[in-house]
This record gives sequence, C-alpha cells and structure tokens, in this order.
Amino acid sequence: MTIAEGAPATSVADVRLSTFERLPWRRIILVLLAIVIVAVTTIGIYKTLTSPEAANYSGEFWAQLTVDGLSYGAILSMVALGYSMVYGILRMINFAHGEVFMAGGFASFFFANAYAKSGFLNSNTVVAVLIVMTVSVLVSVGVALLLERVCYRPLRNAPRLVPLITAIGASLFIQNSFRGFFGPQSYGYPRPSSLNGQVPILGVHVNKIDIAVLVVAVVCMLVLQMFVSRTKTGRSMRAVAEDREIASLMGIDVDRTIAITFAVGGVLAGIAGVLFGMTFQQIQFTSGFTLGIAAFTAAVLGGIGSIGGATLGGFLIGVLRAVGPVLILTGFGIPSVHSLNEAFVFLVLVLVLVFRPGGLLGTGEAEKV
Amino acid sequence: MDVRRLVRVGAICGAVTVYFALVGLTDRFAKLALVGSSVTMGRLVLVIAPLIAGYAVGRPRTRSGTTVSLPIRDAVVHGLVAGAIAGAVFALFVIFVDAFGVERVRGVFINVSPAMMEYVTFGQTAVVAALILTAASAVAGGLGGGYPVLPVTLRKPTGSAVLAVFALGFLQRIVPIALDQLNVERDWLYSRRLGGLTWAGAVVVAAIAASLSILKQRKGDRIRELVRAPSVEGSTRPSGTQIVVALVLLGLVLVTPLLVGSVISNVLGFVLIFALLGLGLNIVVGYAGLLDLGYVFFFAVGAYSLALLTGASLNTFTGSGPPAVSADLNFWVAVPIVMLIAAGAGVLIGAPVLRLRGDYLALVTLGLGEMVTVLLRSPWLEPLVGGPSGMRGVTDAAIGGFGFQDPVHFYYLGIAFVAFAAFISWRLASSRIGRAWTAMREDEQIADAMGVSTTRYKLLAFAMGGAIGSLGGALFAVKIGSLTPASFELLVSIQVLGIVILGGIGSIPGVIVGSLVLVGLPGLLREFEEYRLLAYGAAIVAVMLLRPQGLVPNVRRSRELHEEDEAQDKWAGDVPRDEHVAAGISPEGTGAG
Repeated sequence: MTIAEGAPATSVADVRLSTFERLPWRRIILVLLAIVIVAVTTIGIYKTLTSPEAANYSGEFWAQLTVDGLSYGAILSMVALGYSMVYGILRMINFAHGEVFMAGGFASFFFANAYAKSGFLNSNTVVAVLIVMTVSVLVSVGVALLLERVCYRPLRNAPRLVPLITAIGASLFIQNSFRGFFGPQSYGYPRPSSLNGQVPILGVHVNKIDIAVLVVAVVCMLVLQMFVSRTKTGRSMRAVAEDREIASLMGIDVDRTIAITFAVGGVLAGIAGVLFGMTFQQIQFTSGFTLGIAAFTAAVLGGIGSIGGATLGGFLIGVLRAVGPVLILTGFGIPSVHSLNEAFVFLVLVLVLVFRPGGLLGTGEAEKV
Repeated sequence: MDVRRLVRVGAICGAVTVYFALVGLTDRFAKLALVGSSVTMGRLVLVIAPLIAGYAVGRPRTRSGTTVSLPIRDAVVHGLVAGAIAGAVFALFVIFVDAFGVERVRGVFINVSPAMMEYVTFGQTAVVAALILTAASAVAGGLGGGYPVLPVTLRKPTGSAVLAVFALGFLQRIVPIALDQLNVERDWLYSRRLGGLTWAGAVVVAAIAASLSILKQRKGDRIRELVRAPSVEGSTRPSGTQIVVALVLLGLVLVTPLLVGSVISNVLGFVLIFALLGLGLNIVVGYAGLLDLGYVFFFAVGAYSLALLTGASLNTFTGSGPPAVSADLNFWVAVPIVMLIAAGAGVLIGAPVLRLRGDYLALVTLGLGEMVTVLLRSPWLEPLVGGPSGMRGVTDAAIGGFGFQDPVHFYYLGIAFVAFAAFISWRLASSRIGRAWTAMREDEQIADAMGVSTTRYKLLAFAMGGAIGSLGGALFAVKIGSLTPASFELLVSIQVLGIVILGGIGSIPGVIVGSLVLVGLPGLLREFEEYRLLAYGAAIVAVMLLRPQGLVPNVRRSRELHEEDEAQDKWAGDVPRDEHVAAGISPEGTGAG
C-alpha cells in the first residue's frame, strides 16, 4: 500500500499511513484464499473417498485415470514446450501456438483417413503413421513459421502487449480459416487397429494408445533435450534466449535462430496433433484452443522458459485434470464432474499465476515484474 | 525493374486469392451484385488481391528518408506484371483443381464446389479461364499500380468516386429501404431484380462523389475554417456553424431507425450493445492499460443480475420456475444496482490479480472469463441462473407503457445509454482519475513513485469498466428477453477487444466506429455472417501491424505520436516502436511495482 495519494507533501501528518492501510492486505487475502483452497480440497477428497460412490471407484479405476492423465499430459507437454521455448527466447506468449497444433492434426487427418480407408494404416502401421506425422509436422511448422514471419517479426521491438494482442487475433484467424477450409464439423480421426485395446501392466489394464503416446512423447523430449544441449543450433538458441543483442554480436543469426525455435515448437506440436487425434479419435477447428490453454497452464506451472519445467508441468496438469475433478468435486455431490475438467485447468492456471507466477521450476518472485 | 519483388508481391497476393476461394468467400459472394449484373462482390474478391499487388508495387516508396515515385508508365507496367503473376497463381490453382477433379478436392476443402468452379471458370474450359483470370488480374494490377502515381487532382476524385459507388453497392440493404420510407423514387439508383446499383445510378453517384472531392480540394480550407474556427477569436464557445453541424449529426442519429426499418434497427441495437461493452473495456484497456481478456464476465454479470432483479423466471423442463434468489424491481431501479454489483465484482476479480504483469494478467482474466461460461452451464448454479437452458421473461424497460423491445424503440434506449457511458468516459479521461490512469499506463513504477496509488486506481478501473460493461449486459437482456449461457462465450471478450483495438485504443469515437464496422457490417451483409470471427481476427492482426493507433485515434495519443515522430526524425530511430507507445500500450506491459 502506498502513500494516500493527493496528500499535500508539506504536511507530514497526512503522509503517515493509518494502521488500516499499513496492513498487508494483499498478503492477508492470499493467505486466506490459500487456507480456503486447502480446506475445500481436503474436505472434498475426504468426502469423495468416504461417500457411497467410492465403492464404485476401485484402485484400478484411479490407476487408469492416472495413466489417461499421463498420456494427455504427454501431449500437453509437447505443446507446452512450444510455448515455453518461444517464451524463453522472445519473452512473449505465442497465444496462437494451440492453433499450430490444431493445424497439423487437422491437415494430417485427411491422410490418416485416406490410409484408413485403403487399409494401409492397418497393414503398414509404422510407415503410415510416419507419413501422417510428417504431413502434420510440415503443416505445423509452416503455420508456425508463417506466424513468426507475418505476426511477430515486425513487432520484435514493440511493447510486450502488442504481440500478445496480435497473437490473439492470429489465433482467431487461423481457427476460423480452418473452419472455412474444412467446415465446422468434428471429424473422426482413425486409429490403427493394433493400438486398440488394453494390455495389463502390473495388474492394471492400460490402453495401448496411452502407452504409444507416452513412448513417442518421451522419445521426442529426449531428442529435443539433446538438440538443445548438444547441437550448435541448440547452443545458439540458448545464447539468443540469454541475451539477444550479445548473441548477435557473437555472430549468431538472431532472426534465423528465432525462426528455428518456432519451427522446433511446430515439429513437437505437429507430432502432438497426430497423437491427440489417435487418442481421442476426433479433430475439429476448435481442438487447439482449449488444449492450447491447458498447455500454456502446464508451461506456467512448470516455470515458463524452462524445458524441464514444461515437461513436468504438462504431466502434472494432465494428471490433475484427469484425477482432480473426480477426486475433489464428487464429494460435494456435483454431478457430471468430467464436464468441469477444463474449468479445473483454468482454475489451476489462475491459482498458479496468483500464488507462484514463476512456476515450480521458475525463478519465483523475479518473474512477477 | 525489381523483378524479385514483383514476383514476391504477386505470388503472395495470388495465394490470398486462392485462400479466399478455399475459405469460401468467392462462392458466398458470387450472387451479391454491386453494380449492374456484372460487377459482383464475388468478382471483386477475385481481383482485389491483384489490385492490391499492383498498388503495393506502384506506390511511391520511402528509402532512407527520400520518397521515390515511379513514372506513371513504369508504375502501370509494374502493377500489370505483379497483377498478372497474382492472377497466374490463382489460374494454376483453377487448372489444378480441374485436373485433379472437383469432387476429390471437395472431399478435403469443402468450399471447392462445382458451382464455385463454374463461377471462376466463367463456364469455359480451365485453360481458357486461366488466361482470362490472368488477363483480368493483370488489368486490375495495372490499375492498382497506376492509381497512386496519378496527379493528386485526378487521384482524389477518382478514388472517392470508386469508393462511393462500392460503398452504396454494399449498403444495398439499407439505402433503398430508407429511400422507400422517404417515398423517394429509387428504381433509377438500385435495381430491384439484382439488388445492386444500376449503371445509371452508379454513374450519378460517381459524378457526385467526384465533384464533391474536387470541391473539397478547391474550397476545402474555407469549409474547414467555417466548421472548426471559433466565431470569436480566443473564445472556446462553439461557432454557429459548429452548432448547426452538431445538430444535423444529432438529427441524423435520431431519425436513422425510422428510416431504415426494423431489421436494420435490430442490427443497430446490437451495435449499440457492443459499443457499451467497448466503452467499458476501453476504460480498462485503453485508459488503465490492463489487458482484460475475460470481459464477458461483466457482460454476463450485467445480463443475469438484471434478469434476477427484475423477476425473470428460469427455463425448466416443466415450463418455468422462479430462481433461487429474485426481486421484482423496475428496470430503472434495477440498473443502478446492476452497476454496483458489477463494480463490486470488478474489484473482487481485480484484487487477486493486481500484481501480475500485463501478459499474465491477460491470461488470468481469460481463465476467469472462461470459467464464467462453465459456471453458467454448471448444474451447481442451475437453481440461480437456469443452467444450459437459461432464463426468460426479462422485463421490458418500459416507461409508462412505452416498451423498448421493439427494435426501433430499443435503438433510442441504446443511444441514451451509449451517450451516458460515452459522457462518463469522456469526463473520466481528463479528470484526475484519468490522468492517474494515464500515468500508470505509461510507467507504473514512476506513477507509484509520484504518489499514484496504483492498487487503488487499478481496482477503480476494473470497477468502472465493469459497471459500464454491465450496462451492455443489462440492455442485451432487455433486447433478447431471455438468456442462455451460449450468449456469454469467451469469444465475446475477444470481439469486444477487437472493437476497441480497431477503433483505436483509448478513443471513444473509435469504439463507436469499431462496433459499427465489426458488428454492424456483418449484420448487414448476411453473406458475411459466417466470416465474422475471421474478420475479427484479421482486423486485430492488421491493425496491430499496420495502424496500432486504430481507425479513429485518441487525439492526445496521436499528438504524442507526432511529437515522437519529430523527435525520432532527428535521430532516425525506429518509429514503429513509438507508434505502439502512442497507441497506449506501455513499453513494459503493465509491470507491477
């Protein structure tokens, strides 16, 4: 709380703060809020577990829910990495990154669908999926580069909110362009038959597709980690993220490095688009928006700008989103808790930003300013 | 001749034409005649990108401070080439679709229909059509290239003539109705069969526009003096001419709904509702510099609290039932309470997020806005707001039996509220509070150091913005008479943001213009309705890239901009950055102290 404004500077008495004003109101409100949240969560979990419905929820149910969450979290992580890398290098939120993901997934659908109809997807699953992923990656990278070139590069030195507003516009534009191209309906994304069904792991029946998603995602992240830490391009990316001007003085082509960062984000988003399509077996022009927000939440939760943070945040949000509403809200007798999954993610986003804007692996307080 | 540049511009514009076709604009506008039967909107869509390509390569360019203008013959040739390349790109697309099979392409791109192909090939074979398209685009490009280097005495009249003809062509759903209401013979101007202007009408309109433009060129200064200059030297009182102009404008605003009929008045009603929302958001974003993406929250609070206060009932399976909490107040008693509720809600959601930096603030408010929709739908709040099926029977804001649910009557209610909100915004802008907001927006740390309580003023901005936005919600409830969560989607926030940005951040007339363009135009052109959101997105991006100060910039900020320009000229710094500063977005976002 600052000095009561409008006080004439000549009078010392007026400048003195009243006891009421001196109290750290913000901190008090935050602490109260935290207490309420902890209390509600604890009561909710207790009530859920002791409620008569809990009998229906076996240990396997929770385990399956967790695996589902992990698989969704893997997809989120891959998208979150795109947000995080761009943020790390440009200090801006690429609000349209969700659409980059949707664009790849949507475009690859037409190939996947054609292969499913011709039987190629089931007879030669690996080749077909690789081709579908290549298409998805190409489209996603194309959209990401176009965004960077048209929307962000001219605004490189503009105030921070300007690229954000532009990104919102671009997001709306891309979404509705795809709606115009392919129509507003939801398409049924095919899944190779070998990925249908479940396998028992440690006594829990796990969907095969979830395992496939987790494997692909983990491989991608390892490759990304290698790329960023071992290659020359990765090193220049880190250098530009550290200090753009000095990096350019050291002979790094900053524009090219930034474009590569967008492209790498696009590659991950493109692969994630195919994984998403095969997991949920549907794709629509709005698919990128909510997932984008969830992925952004993941990036913020983990600590935006850090690769490890985005990965951790993705898995955490995935599990929280899957388990949280059921575990906490069922106890309060709220029907159809699954419809509240997205709202739950938003709630987590708001709470993370209010309590710890720097994220789990971030720098905490310093990020606030 | 810079061939690479010509090819690049031509190719980009050709890709844009292909994009129009894929998104479906070409097909959707095929039947909208503008002048006669041959100048249709669909054909305009085909040649507009080549025209722009020509303009882009023909226009005088500024290189290191000096403006180089091409000789007219070169400009036309450049335009021709760029236009031809653009046309050729589209022609290749047509040939490709024809060779590959329309139905197969349609399996992916739903808008590539046989009807569309028929339209763009003019019923000819693909190769002939490709030649025609390239030639037509080349002509368009040549015109576009020649236009900017015409001598000004010729350029301005031609420009206004063409603009006037197209504008009247677009307004074919309003102007004829208005003429009919006035009992003016209109068949010479608008064709009844085709909808658009007749050729004779177009010629007359062009002639009038051109002569007005010439008049403005010759006598413009004199007219401007008459309108602008105060009657007595040094006096700030408006001159007689100014009063007359103001009265004429006011009269026009007041008679509009009587002239245009109820369909258009209905559209205007929505324009006014969005103008109210825009004025509210303008306080938060424009004055205080806080990017709020969850503005739909206040829209919902306004609409639902008005419904609850005036005794609306819930939609239920069995018909209707009373909500859990309700009062049965008169609209006019309820409105101040609604504003108070919204202001309180603004403080409530503002308090926890105050310390966040600009872009994080945007995302938190986005999250809050999205949660509003979820909460409205949730079974949890169903006893209060009716869940997915919503509420109905919202009061009509009647004054002594004079109801406002009729679109024409509603227009006047809307005008009154917009005038009220605009007045408040205007007075706020130059008040102590407004100046504190400006200081905070420009540099929060310094403002804090200067004794501006940023906490207090941020909360005040949320409260004021929320209260004005809730008026939009209240009017919306009255206009529609019933409420469902579908009207309170996240997109509303982005639409309102688009309005504020298009008009000019921080500018009150800008908000009105923004909502006229972004809400009014799509409402008038039925064909355009589907592309409304596309247009919002494109408008936001285009304004931010090309004209960050908006269509009708805030006066103070454009003045700041010019000062910056002069200062910049001396140092040859990067002007775009300062344009953004002048557009009211502080360099460091809204950093917290």
